[in-house]
Amino acid sequence: MTITAAHDPRTGWRVVDIVVAAAIGVAFGVVFWQWGVVWAPLFAGQVNPLAYLVSGMWLVPGVLAMLIIRRPGAAIFAETLAAIVSALLGSFWGLDVILSGAVQGAGAELVFAMFLYRSFSLPVALLAGAGAAIGEWLHDMPVYYPSTAFEVQLAYGAFMLISGVVIAGAGSWLLVRALAPTGVLAPFSAGRDQPEV
Amino acid sequence: MPGGTNPRSDALSAPPASPAATAAVAAPAAPVGVEARGWGWRHAGRRAWAVRELDLRIAPGERVLLLGPSGSGKSTLLMAMAGLLEPSGAAGVEGELRVAGEPPGAVRDRIGIVFQDPESQLVMGRAGDDVAFGLENLCLPADAIWPRVAGALDAVGFPYPPDRPSDALSGGEQQRLVIAGTLAMRPGLLLLDEPTANLDPDGAAAVRDVLSGIARSGSMTMVLVEHRVGDALPLVDRVVALNAQGRLLADGSPAEVFRRHGDALLEAGIWTPDGRLPSPPERDRGLVETQLVADQAAYTYPGGAAPALRRTDVQVRSSEALAITGPNGSGKSTLALLLAGLLRPSAGEVYATEALATGRGHDPMWRWPARDLVTRVGMVFQDPEHQFLTGSARDELALGPIRTGVEGRVARRRADELLERLHLAGLAEANPFTLSGGEKRRLSVATALATAPEVLVLDEPTFGQDRRTATELLRLLAGLRDEGRAIVFATHDREFATTLADRTLRLRAPEAMPIPETSR
Repeated sequence: MTITAAHDPRTGWRVVDIVVAAAIGVAFGVVFWQWGVVWAPLFAGQVNPLAYLVSGMWLVPGVLAMLIIRRPGAAIFAETLAAIVSALLGSFWGLDVILSGAVQGAGAELVFAMFLYRSFSLPVALLAGAGAAIGEWLHDMPVYYPSTAFEVQLAYGAFMLISGVVIAGAGSWLLVRALAPTGVLAPFSAGRDQPEV
Repeated sequence: MPGGTNPRSDALSAPPASPAATAAVAAPAAPVGVEARGWGWRHAGRRAWAVRELDLRIAPGERVLLLGPSGSGKSTLLMAMAGLLEPSGAAGVEGELRVAGEPPGAVRDRIGIVFQDPESQLVMGRAGDDVAFGLENLCLPADAIWPRVAGALDAVGFPYPPDRPSDALSGGEQQRLVIAGTLAMRPGLLLLDEPTANLDPDGAAAVRDVLSGIARSGSMTMVLVEHRVGDALPLVDRVVALNAQGRLLADGSPAEVFRRHGDALLEAGIWTPDGRLPSPPERDRGLVETQLVADQAAYTYPGGAAPALRRTDVQVRSSEALAITGPNGSGKSTLALLLAGLLRPSAGEVYATEALATGRGHDPMWRWPARDLVTRVGMVFQDPEHQFLTGSARDELALGPIRTGVEGRVARRRADELLERLHLAGLAEANPFTLSGGEKRRLSVATALATAPEVLVLDEPTFGQDRRTATELLRLLAGLRDEGRAIVFATHDREFATTLADRTLRLRAPEAMPIPETSR
């Protein structure tokens, strides 16, 4: 296959890449906004590290976008955009949510970068979910729990990590697997990974 | 691949500086050629190749009719020529395909494509803006855009001003709008995927006039996929046919292809100019009994200025096939939805007689729960995708029966029988949305049949179908009718209507658009 200079398949973004990454970001911005229904009762009142078991939902767009688009920057872009959209719709955390999204996206992005953007397998997806969770922890602890004991902060981190790996890591990977047979991923190499009939 | 150089760039005679956009804007379109060398494509998730080992050279200015049975890869080839297929998303690619000596993806702005479904191509809220969209993307100055928009709308006989909302158009009008948007960009290669399949006979004739004007001007290379061969032949000077396996079956002038390969084409399920639908055998019919009654039924869409369907009386009877015909915008689809109990009439009534309701009482049909409705009235939508709900063809057919209480195993066995009958057995596990246009149509008919309803309502059942599918549908529907079922179908397809229908209801065009009554 001929490769044109404008479209290096591993780094250059095509129109379809930008559009799909943006669509994922916007869609999850709305999901974030609605996710309040789930977290609001959990986070109200007492300090409760267990509540972070639902936090993985906030980490999905970065991992998902990268699993589909497979181009450098996809995770940061989609995660940050989702945060911006949720902020525009009205977020409990105000504009800080944007910084939070960028850091979470960077956490996932770093994992894919460590694999040189060549592997998008389930283990890498799980690690990326973990990476995003570490980003979440690094952002949230100094901002929201500065006076909490370090041991408790670690407990928060553990539950963030579990949720990130399960919801954002495994969840995104399963989502891609479910999308592929519908044909909507045909413009992406991610669309190739499906059973043949 | 190091360097990213094009190994065959010497074949390109055009100067390198931003050639495509400038050519499309400044000069009248120069027709471009297409060349396939051993080209093949296998879609992700499929074991079978869509197109295989294709050798084809289309000279600039040639006009080619591309034929093939449903699922033979016609649309795949067209999409590839348009540069819309992404090699990294394919399960397999072989050989090479070039347009104007380049990979098609590199010269997309010299290629125009018109798809089967106009809604997949309309992006703007107003008709004129939609035509202007492509030109705006070519960065044409604004004062150069609007004359072209007006000219293109004029060329397709668009009957409204440019500020007409594009969602206030019938399917046929939308398709004319899409063609206008493509013509406005003056492409060197015009690809048309059944552009008239969705139009009423008058609209289709108008579009063919436009296309034959383009053909005469010689300003574009044309590749046309069209099942209505007789209508398409005056537009082309060459016929290329693919077989069911996506391989080249015949190639040459129309006269030569049909003389030498006519039988092979018919056998492959391809329409030929004189290949008519075989009449279904005359059989004893079941009892003729009124099942559904529309009594002065009318419908206006919420917010609609004029009624989509004006007051209409009609009876649907068992053992009878009723055709609903009429021009685009006359309310055929709306009447079909009313008869299927899926819309509440804004005036008048649609009700089931005791024969159909069988103890369900006399509340109006639109109030019936789905469970009661699907076992009595089945609906096949114009757009098959509107009725796909599951992830595989087999599950699609089993869904209705299971929801009405049939045991899963029985439902799946019945599903397999239906798949076999409609030539879809090999695709039982395929996702419905990945099927070809013809395959989707057959699956959508099968889903309506799966719950064994007494009344079957179909909207444009032969739209985009190859001859084999149309023949099979005809046989299937005639058989169901003879068993005692009532068949109602809205159609533009005169041959299908005359062959199947026992009665015809012809709806008239909306006011202020008088259309002469055509006799059957």
